[in-house]
Amino acid sequence: MRKSLIVNLSGILSAFLICGVVMQLQGYPAIESYAALFNQSVGSSYAFLTVLKNSIPLVLTGLSASVAFSSGPVNLGQPGQFLIGGLFATIGGLFVELPAPLMIPFMLMLAMIGGALWSFLAAIMKQLFDMDEYITTLMLNMIADLFTYWAISYPFFETGATFPQTPKIVKSGWMPSIGKFNSGIIVMLLAFIVVWFIYYRTTAGYEWRMTGQNPTFARLGGVPTRRNYLIIMLVTGALAGLAGGLVVMTGPRRFIKGIGANYAWDGIMVSMVANNNLFATLLYGIFFSTLETGSLGMELFTKVPSEMVTVLKAIIVLVVMAGRGSLEVLIRNWMTRQKMKARAEG
Amino acid sequence: MDSLIEIEHLIKIFPPNVVALDDVSVDFRKGEIHAIVGENGAGKSTLMKVLYGMHSADSGELRYHGKTVRFAAPGDAIQAGIGMVHQEILLVNEYTVWENVVLGQEPAGFFGRIDHGAARRIVTEKIHEFGFNLDADARVSELSVAARQKVEILKLLYRDVSFLILDEPTAVLTPQEIPQLFDELRRLRDNGHTIAFISHHLDEVLELSDRITVLRKGRKIATIPTAETTKSALAELMVGREVVFKPIKDNVPAGDIVFDLNGVNLKASNGKDLLRDVSIQVRASEIVGIAGVEGNGQLELVSVLTGLQRPDSGSLKIHGQELMDSSILDRRRRMSFVSQDRSRMGGCLTASIMENMLMTHHRLRSTFTAGGGILIDDQKAAAFAEDACRRFDVTYATIQAPFRSLSGGNQQKVILGRELTLDTPFVLLDQPTRGLDVGSIEYVHHQIMELSRAHRAILIFSADLEELFRITDRILVLHRGKIVADLETERTNIGEVGSWMLEGAKSDA
Repeated sequence: MRKSLIVNLSGILSAFLICGVVMQLQGYPAIESYAALFNQSVGSSYAFLTVLKNSIPLVLTGLSASVAFSSGPVNLGQPGQFLIGGLFATIGGLFVELPAPLMIPFMLMLAMIGGALWSFLAAIMKQLFDMDEYITTLMLNMIADLFTYWAISYPFFETGATFPQTPKIVKSGWMPSIGKFNSGIIVMLLAFIVVWFIYYRTTAGYEWRMTGQNPTFARLGGVPTRRNYLIIMLVTGALAGLAGGLVVMTGPRRFIKGIGANYAWDGIMVSMVANNNLFATLLYGIFFSTLETGSLGMELFTKVPSEMVTVLKAIIVLVVMAGRGSLEVLIRNWMTRQKMKARAEG
Repeated sequence: MDSLIEIEHLIKIFPPNVVALDDVSVDFRKGEIHAIVGENGAGKSTLMKVLYGMHSADSGELRYHGKTVRFAAPGDAIQAGIGMVHQEILLVNEYTVWENVVLGQEPAGFFGRIDHGAARRIVTEKIHEFGFNLDADARVSELSVAARQKVEILKLLYRDVSFLILDEPTAVLTPQEIPQLFDELRRLRDNGHTIAFISHHLDEVLELSDRITVLRKGRKIATIPTAETTKSALAELMVGREVVFKPIKDNVPAGDIVFDLNGVNLKASNGKDLLRDVSIQVRASEIVGIAGVEGNGQLELVSVLTGLQRPDSGSLKIHGQELMDSSILDRRRRMSFVSQDRSRMGGCLTASIMENMLMTHHRLRSTFTAGGGILIDDQKAAAFAEDACRRFDVTYATIQAPFRSLSGGNQQKVILGRELTLDTPFVLLDQPTRGLDVGSIEYVHHQIMELSRAHRAILIFSADLEELFRITDRILVLHRGKIVADLETERTNIGEVGSWMLEGAKSDA
């Protein structure tokens, strides 16, 4: 626990240093730029609430990836599951009207069903035809991309629009805001708590964790690994779908071309730098959202292009992951030397 | 004699605690076939991997042609003329024999294009030169395993390797294919190549090799000319326990048949018989041992019993309940299983001691689950795990410490604790004392006696004959996938079991 804290903090610090040097070399003032970056993200409660709202898709797709990777299935289909989830929620919001306390759960449920349906396709191909999910989920991403593009260009196209998009969803399906606080944040935190609880407090979560770490051990212990695989794919698909639904309901309130942005890939990156740890996924999701949100402010005040943050994020991922690996090597070498010494002494 | 390779005082450690090679010195002479024998875990493969640049040594020296060398990677070793044929064959199925052989080192023609004609010609010449019965244009996917193995050897010869390492080359072959491989290896030797080969089958070793090195628990025991030794002398060197165990089996009368395995057959995809009509009965309180040289079907039989592998035919009953088509969980309701592979099957190294202890129990008993088995009560689970650790004498820091922080003996005690507290009528033990020190072995044996007193039926696989003589009522011998002998432990001796193991027949000697 302390070991991983050291690796992460020192990794982030050195990444900031490296990126600072890069900025200085390009003629930008590093310290002022960082100051602007954080001022515009965590400098005020107003800014921080924006950070939290922006972190919703990152955290949820990150959780999806973390749970999948640490339980075995290599579900790389978050981008597709996100889009289908968003589309399902939108369709519900276009054709059904309920009072808000019913409408919001209804649309969130649709989003999860959409995401789960999309991951189910990959799961069933694995179980029936032994096709690896890390290929099929990737392929399904493209299909989802083009399918939703078609859906918003033809059947659900907003008549008269100049851009592929659907009409707005009904008002009762908008995630309510209290001032700058968007209630989507509550949904995100609830989802995190539920997933965390399942993962660490239930028999099912125990089985997932063991299967992820040593599938043969789990199988021999009587764990129904085949059935669990299906459940994990459905749960992680639903999480990514939920992210898509929430983005629709908190943001443009319609399905618009390019709504998926790079959220899901960033989420996968978050899960990797968090080493699939659920709590670390939440923290890194919020942290990456901080950088992303602050970068716009930084661009405004210091003329450092906001793309610099992409560089910074990439360096963090590289440094933290490399740090994790090399620490292991250092520890192993140290243990080897200890053993040699013990052997020499008797 | 001129030594091609001299290994001096080699030490290899796998952290945290395994000394895989402990001060090993061996020399390989030019133009000899040198066999490396030893029980599993003796360090044979590690020694070869250091030689071949796959592992780096932690201490010691490697001299090649009299010069000190250090290979950082297999590529360096191949460049220097040392190559290894692995057990698993790595070829491109869609390519022809010659394409596979030249792959990675293709003869170049104009503008760096691959000179197909030359490549094909060179490979064909090599095939003739070494008298391999191969067609250079055949597609690898159409070849038998034996032929693929030849392609692997040819790959090394094409790269002018003069020192070949073969890791259990006969393990994948049918009995009919073995003599041909041996002929080819002898021809290579007579051509001036040097061959090191690892094998479990002593008769093969004696037939083929010029000298034999015996390893035991990471140490070299002896290097002897083959002409000066015998099978029984070798077996003694390989196994040789300093401590002589006395039988500790007490006479608990056997009860009804608990475990009933009938007519199990299993074939490999190449048609090789892995299990032939295997039938075993074990009664309550009875301890039945399975002896056999490794690679004679033990692995497959255990896989069939645990449900990892489905046999071509056969039935498995425990207390009259047919289980061959049942899920692993259903089997585990009636079967405790201690595997020989602690890190891959028996436990999960990265998980905590507690998590290792909960496996299977989490489905079969409810002492630490809540909500009808849906939730795990962490406190009760920790108490359950700590109690089991106490009963089985595990030394540990905290119950949340990772399983891999335990010594091998303590890991095995955790696994035993988990499996033996499952209330099952039948207990399957696959080399339960492998890699343990004498004290832990003693402990495990006494636990097995306890099981017998509790009227459980016990089937134990062991490569250690003394162990079987110490604790079993009956010994069955597995030879080339078939049970060839069913002996009462009290009425037989190590010599008799040994000859059944090695020859599949009773010898008069």
